Amino acid sequence: MISIEQLTKRFGAQVAVDSLSLQIPAGEIVGFLGPNGAGKSTTLKMLTGMIEPTSGSATICGFDLRRDPIEVKRHVGFVPESGAVFESLTGLEYLEMVAALYGIAPNAARARIEQFIAFFDLSFETLTDKLLGAYSKGMRRKVVITSALLHNPPVVFFDEPLDGLDANAAVGFKALIQTLAREGKTIVYSSHILDVVERVCHRVIIIDKGKLLLDGKPDELVASHNSGTLEKLFTQLTGGAELERRAEDFAKTFRP
Amino acid sequence: MNAPGDKPPLLPSQMSAPTPQKALRRLFLTLFLRGRGARGLNQKNTPKSISDKLRLTLLFYGLFGCFTFSMIGQPVFALAVYLHSLTFAFLGMFVASSAGEILFNKEEADILLHRPIDPKTMLWSKIRVLVEISLWIAGAFNLAGFFVGLGSPDGSWRFPLAHALSTSLEALFCAGCVVLAYQLCLRWFGRERLDGLMTTTQVLVSVAVVASSQILPRVIFRHSNALSASESSWWIWLFPPAWFAGFDDALAGGSWSISWLLGAVAIVATGLILWLAFDKLAKNYEAGLQLLGETVSKPKRTRPRRRWMDRLVAMPPFNWWLRDPVSRASFLLTTAYLIRDRDVKLRIYPGIAPMLVVPFVFLFQKNNMGGFGIALSGGYLGMIPLLGLNILKYSQQWQAADIFRMAPVRGPAGICNGARRAVLCFLTLPMIIAATAIILLLYGINSQIFLLLPGFVALPVFAMVPGLLGRAIPLSSPIEEGKSAGRGLTMMLMMFISIGLSAIANWMWTLNWFWPFMLAETIVVIGAYTGMRLALARVQWESAE
Repeated sequence: MISIEQLTKRFGAQVAVDSLSLQIPAGEIVGFLGPNGAGKSTTLKMLTGMIEPTSGSATICGFDLRRDPIEVKRHVGFVPESGAVFESLTGLEYLEMVAALYGIAPNAARARIEQFIAFFDLSFETLTDKLLGAYSKGMRRKVVITSALLHNPPVVFFDEPLDGLDANAAVGFKALIQTLAREGKTIVYSSHILDVVERVCHRVIIIDKGKLLLDGKPDELVASHNSGTLEKLFTQLTGGAELERRAEDFAKTFRP
Repeated sequence: MNAPGDKPPLLPSQMSAPTPQKALRRLFLTLFLRGRGARGLNQKNTPKSISDKLRLTLLFYGLFGCFTFSMIGQPVFALAVYLHSLTFAFLGMFVASSAGEILFNKEEADILLHRPIDPKTMLWSKIRVLVEISLWIAGAFNLAGFFVGLGSPDGSWRFPLAHALSTSLEALFCAGCVVLAYQLCLRWFGRERLDGLMTTTQVLVSVAVVASSQILPRVIFRHSNALSASESSWWIWLFPPAWFAGFDDALAGGSWSISWLLGAVAIVATGLILWLAFDKLAKNYEAGLQLLGETVSKPKRTRPRRRWMDRLVAMPPFNWWLRDPVSRASFLLTTAYLIRDRDVKLRIYPGIAPMLVVPFVFLFQKNNMGGFGIALSGGYLGMIPLLGLNILKYSQQWQAADIFRMAPVRGPAGICNGARRAVLCFLTLPMIIAATAIILLLYGINSQIFLLLPGFVALPVFAMVPGLLGRAIPLSSPIEEGKSAGRGLTMMLMMFISIGLSAIANWMWTLNWFWPFMLAETIVVIGAYTGMRLALARVQWESAE
């Protein structure tokens, strides 16, 4: 479903993503992990056609990212970390606009939006009367997730999708993506909340400084490294092992 | 969470769906009319109908256009120069101030760039909206002119048609010029310098537009209202409004040979600009749009460098002037925004740049208006802190200003003082130096230069006005609130006071009572300033509802 070959992105002299190669089949939920600045968001932006790779290639659903960027975009959904929306539109106006960009007829779009409203416990009045700028962070995130899934894409990229969602919405969302994967969708899930990744994802990819560090099933990776949890494995690999001791030392500086 | 219901369809069909072009046009039009940011807007301020706002705007332009009735009886060329100059000013300012935000919006990258739309479609949708709104503005402003042109001594029934055509060309020309300017910036200087260049481009376009729209009619009318008087003048070819006026005159006026040539230049120039902006260089826009999603990295410094602002506030006289730590922090914050923040720069510099044109405008006036012009330039310069602080109050990051309330300070006085001092240092002082240099160049060294003083002396009072009630806290209000009519009225009132002050100063000059007048003004200003400082120091934080 997703095939990446030697994908590289440079910003001037800085290499953000360094020769990344991956194969992700249909129906898999892949946790895409890495410390801040590791190149996760840059990789997702390249795969969604938002920024151009410096070198390398990628195909999504058989469409080449360089040759058919529009077809690639038609087949992916993306929830960016920023959760940006046009704040001066109402939720409904925003979602109808997104639907139109994917060529969804207004009636079909409205029916689909109503399904999402029901799923996310949003009120239709809020969606029609309030500008997105007046929404809470969680409500806005629900609208962004809806806008990514509205056209029923076979591949979905999530960048910190739970940011702002309350506990109930988060539980519902996790169940949703697991069901979507069972139905054949490919899901790439980038997050810093490692226990969620460990529970939800079939496979974990860890990158640092743009390079692939580790790729495998979470339980197998944890077992092979004797780390106990994914979080410990992550800190071992990305140089965070000393963090707890450093935090203790630092906390002592607060003593009066 | 509820069950999502029936299984959704597979990838949707294209049947009876609105086209992406149509959806984008609707989107950009709505965003333009409502503004992009709505965070913090009160529910009651939520726009119920975008057409109401548009109708009001067009009504304003239509009423302003009624001044054209004062041109009844003028030849077609003179009338057309007047109409095209002002249309050029309105459209140029509108396109220049809107284009940066419409063409290269950073947040938009995360929302739209992963959708299946090609960048050319996006560019055309944006341009269509820009031109569409330009035409509405132009149509509203020129409405009265269509009728006045019919009554011109050398006019004919063809005038409304010719003028509608030339105005449409002018709208396309304005939009094309601005888009071309951005594309050339991208092509020549790259994404890394685009943010800074966008501000510079806007400032230059604003100044050019105001200059050409204000100076051309005065130069032409100084000699004669007829085109024939300007026929031998080379400079007429440099002013785009003259090209479009020539178009009108050729089709519906005196039909001088030069007007045919000017009209031809209008058509060729518009065609050339459109070809360059939307065809030849469209690829640059595509590239620029994609680069918006990229983080620009700067080469790392080998050793940490102390910021020049920190060094500045540690030096005399700043370390004495900013000895209050709250004022110093606010000074540094405001300076950083004046220098670095794209949004603040895009609103503030194009707003004050046209003030530099004021001395030029009065240079060409009849009836020895030079003295009043100098006094008015001083008055306008004195108002820069007022304008600057009013604009600085609004920011996209207004919620971050909560930090001021969280800090253990009793009221906003220190913060307002720091912001005011930053505006005085980095906005007002450079403008005063530049404007004085321009006036000296234009009018020569003569005693009338002292007419700048009444405005300069009033400056501290003007600078205190925004913070008087503790309301001009820098970067503390959403941008949308800045568009309220109340703010415009305050500015208008201050402008009238400034004009009144300039008129009185000029009158006193002619009566040889200027220096006693200056003494009286200085005493009043010292009293008012002291009272305002004391009032500001007593202001406490209002409840943040």
